[in-house]
Amino acid sequence: MRDYFENIAQKLFKHIQKDEFLILNFDAEVSNFVRLNKAKIRQPGNVKQISMSLSLSNRDKRNLKSYVRLNGSFDKDLSTLIKTLNYLRRELPDLPKDPYLLFSKSVQSTEVSDDKKYINDEENLDYILPKIASLDLVGIYSSGYIYTGLANSLGQFNWHSDYSFSFDYSIYNENNNAIKLNYSSKKWNNEEFETNLDQGIKKLKILSQSPRTIPKGEYTVYLEPSALNEIIDMMSWGGFSYKANKIGTSPLHLLSKGEKTLHASVSIDENIKGGISANFSSDGFIKPDVINMIKDGEFTESLTSPRSSLEYSVAHNASSISEYPYSIDMRAGAIDDDAILSTINNGLYISNLWYLNFSDRNNARMTGLTRFGCFVVENGQLTAPINTMRFDDSVYSMLGENLIGLTSNRELLIDSGTYEERSTSSARLPGAVVDNFKMTL
Amino acid sequence: MKNEFLKQISAYFPSVDYCSFRFVNKYTNIVSVTRNVLEPIEILEDEGVMVTIIHNGGYGYGASSDLTREGILKAIEEAKKWAEYSSGKLVHVPHPPSMRTDDGKYFTHEKDSWAKESNKDKVDYLMQINKSLKSKPTISNWGASFRYNKIETLFTDTNGSDIRQNISYILPQLVACAEYKKQIQTRTFGGHAHARQIGYNFLRDSDLITKAEQIANDAIELSMAPNCPDSKMDALIAPDQMILQIHESIGHPLELDRILGDERNYAGSSFVNLDMFGEYKYGSDKLNISFNPNQESELATYNYDDDGTAATKKYLIKDGILERPIGGFYSSQRVNQDYVACSRATSWNRPPIDRMGNINLEPGESSFSEMIASVEDGILLETNNSWSIDDYRNKFQFGCEKGTVIKNGELKSVTKNPNYRGITKEFWHNLSMVGDETSFSILGTANCGKGEPNQTIFVGHATPPCLFREIDIFGGE
Repeated sequence: MRDYFENIAQKLFKHIQKDEFLILNFDAEVSNFVRLNKAKIRQPGNVKQISMSLSLSNRDKRNLKSYVRLNGSFDKDLSTLIKTLNYLRRELPDLPKDPYLLFSKSVQSTEVSDDKKYINDEENLDYILPKIASLDLVGIYSSGYIYTGLANSLGQFNWHSDYSFSFDYSIYNENNNAIKLNYSSKKWNNEEFETNLDQGIKKLKILSQSPRTIPKGEYTVYLEPSALNEIIDMMSWGGFSYKANKIGTSPLHLLSKGEKTLHASVSIDENIKGGISANFSSDGFIKPDVINMIKDGEFTESLTSPRSSLEYSVAHNASSISEYPYSIDMRAGAIDDDAILSTINNGLYISNLWYLNFSDRNNARMTGLTRFGCFVVENGQLTAPINTMRFDDSVYSMLGENLIGLTSNRELLIDSGTYEERSTSSARLPGAVVDNFKMTL
Repeated sequence: MKNEFLKQISAYFPSVDYCSFRFVNKYTNIVSVTRNVLEPIEILEDEGVMVTIIHNGGYGYGASSDLTREGILKAIEEAKKWAEYSSGKLVHVPHPPSMRTDDGKYFTHEKDSWAKESNKDKVDYLMQINKSLKSKPTISNWGASFRYNKIETLFTDTNGSDIRQNISYILPQLVACAEYKKQIQTRTFGGHAHARQIGYNFLRDSDLITKAEQIANDAIELSMAPNCPDSKMDALIAPDQMILQIHESIGHPLELDRILGDERNYAGSSFVNLDMFGEYKYGSDKLNISFNPNQESELATYNYDDDGTAATKKYLIKDGILERPIGGFYSSQRVNQDYVACSRATSWNRPPIDRMGNINLEPGESSFSEMIASVEDGILLETNNSWSIDDYRNKFQFGCEKGTVIKNGELKSVTKNPNYRGITKEFWHNLSMVGDETSFSILGTANCGKGEPNQTIFVGHATPPCLFREIDIFGGE
């Protein structure tokens, strides 16, 4: 795939005219998806997709971009790409100049290739299906290659390929209570999978007790890393974006302006080096290894795209146009795993939150619901599962004045999302113990 | 090219119990002007084929953007491989249709075609809208965009069916934010609600320049308005919020694949169970909900779904009684229920699953002024900006951009951050008045997420405004 992209890019660059600049972004994926319900196969299949975007600009700073699907057949694809290039060239003179157009002009080629295939999907499924036969299991097993590339007419070439799998699943009991699990890696290991499954089965046993409906009110809660991830994900809806903070649509705009602070133990980075996504932007800029976005409870640096840098006359840090983080890394705290329940003492243990949205974006106030694996904690013991509850609380409370502490252990959560293509986002997070967490319905 | 494709593809049919080919070509064009500057125009062209095979008690698909002979043969091979592997391991063995559809067709009617309007003219119009949005100095952010999607689908199968559909839709999006004492209020038009299968004339006829001025004025007024009060009161919900209410608390819980548990790891389940159909009182007698794929210009209007099932209007809820689920041809086999043509896929690279098509709330008999006049203490809620509901589609909380207090039968002051919460099982019983034909609005949302692997799809909702009694309303901080 790498050679195909490099060769077709070289051919295409020969069609560039004087004073034109062309940047190519390549995305491809060959994936198997096996959907399961009630521990049996629901829909299995394979998807192969290749696409490339062409961004053509000229000396007048006019720019037009087109994204095309490709066959993988060199001659046919080259013909499609040349036609697309000609279309862009024809349309370009009619468009206004783009004052915020900025591409990397210094050639910085990089390459990260993981082309070794350690995974046999049929063998893995042959192992999984008998192990789960007695369970009510639902979820998706996905695996395969993801390729990302960039080439520009100045000679820059960047490549990132990855082979991995994700088994994202839930196991249910007869009361319709469930535990959510995920086993993702580059190399399948039967023992690792069994450990993952066994941990879920143990938790599911606690869920077999009669669920309790708790009254609305304020609780001391423990948010597992996956529950905290939902809150951080909402904060990321513009929260770290330079532009969104500048125009005030960011949920963290008061934090970014220094009007609010979070708890001093909260530090959040964009850690590209520690994640699994490509380290180059679609404009050809190389992303810094780490960006400290929040440090010791204070906002320190936004994600700033090249467009924002020109619009607001600030330096950029090679962020995507959405200025959204892809590799969140939150600093660990001091609470050891075996002290979590005693720290809560009486309250709730929340493994998972679901369907979050803002109830007052200006004040970073959000709502959502408990879902998988949520329990009452009494005298430092898990005593019963809870029926679904809605929370409505502000980040400035949850990760501010009401944060008791963060755990010393962190988890790497690889996004199992597959909209359009398999995601390469991730988050490395601790758990959080929070006081006065507001349950409303 | 397309007719030749159908002829050629027949030659590829493998020797299996059933095989279908679904070829999809998608074209997307997004033109955006933000704060008077043209953003990079997006043009996306996507095409590929999904081969589905049902054979010897197995099911599998192979999907590829490689439309060369070798590419299609490889996709067939993958589909066969997975059908073979899944034989004896499936949660349900699908029974393929025996019917043949000859020359099935559907085409969106674009009075003025998108393609005939030049990029320059579109940009000029958006620049004018931007000027109108930034009509006052307190507007802190503004922008407008047009999105056009065209989806051509060709379907053929071993029964000899031959279906060709061209769906195109347009979505305008306008946004204005106003800042007052470091509090920002946002007002939009389009966005979540106003996608339609319609021509470029829709954008001209909608008078977006006047709309832009209105939402800019609204944003300024909201930025200085008090927070919505916390109280139990009547809620008159405008169509651009009703569509979200219908979508989340009727559409999703009635999807049969959720009821059967397929979505429990991702989009969730449903409080509805199979015993409820034909008996359960979902809401008041005034609640009538249809699956209507035949409503002209609505977003999910079509003649066939992605499994090739012919699409006709059917009631899901009639006079408040739950009649049937949103389950496609194959899902309905799992429970012996009546089906609707709702098996849809986001593109060639995802398999069809049960989706909403057009899910409409049928008009009632009340005029808008009659509904206002009937409210002693209440609020008019307009334009969704926040949505959250539990995985059984029961406990919900929704937020709107604008609330207008209603006192003693009259519209009064504007309030910001209006939110309401409730429980689906109870909420629809509080439906007391339904707007008439004159207020029936054809709307739709372009991004409904569901499925593993994940899929987003466009969904239509047509509805009048509706009045609900005694709703839990609250505001921001």
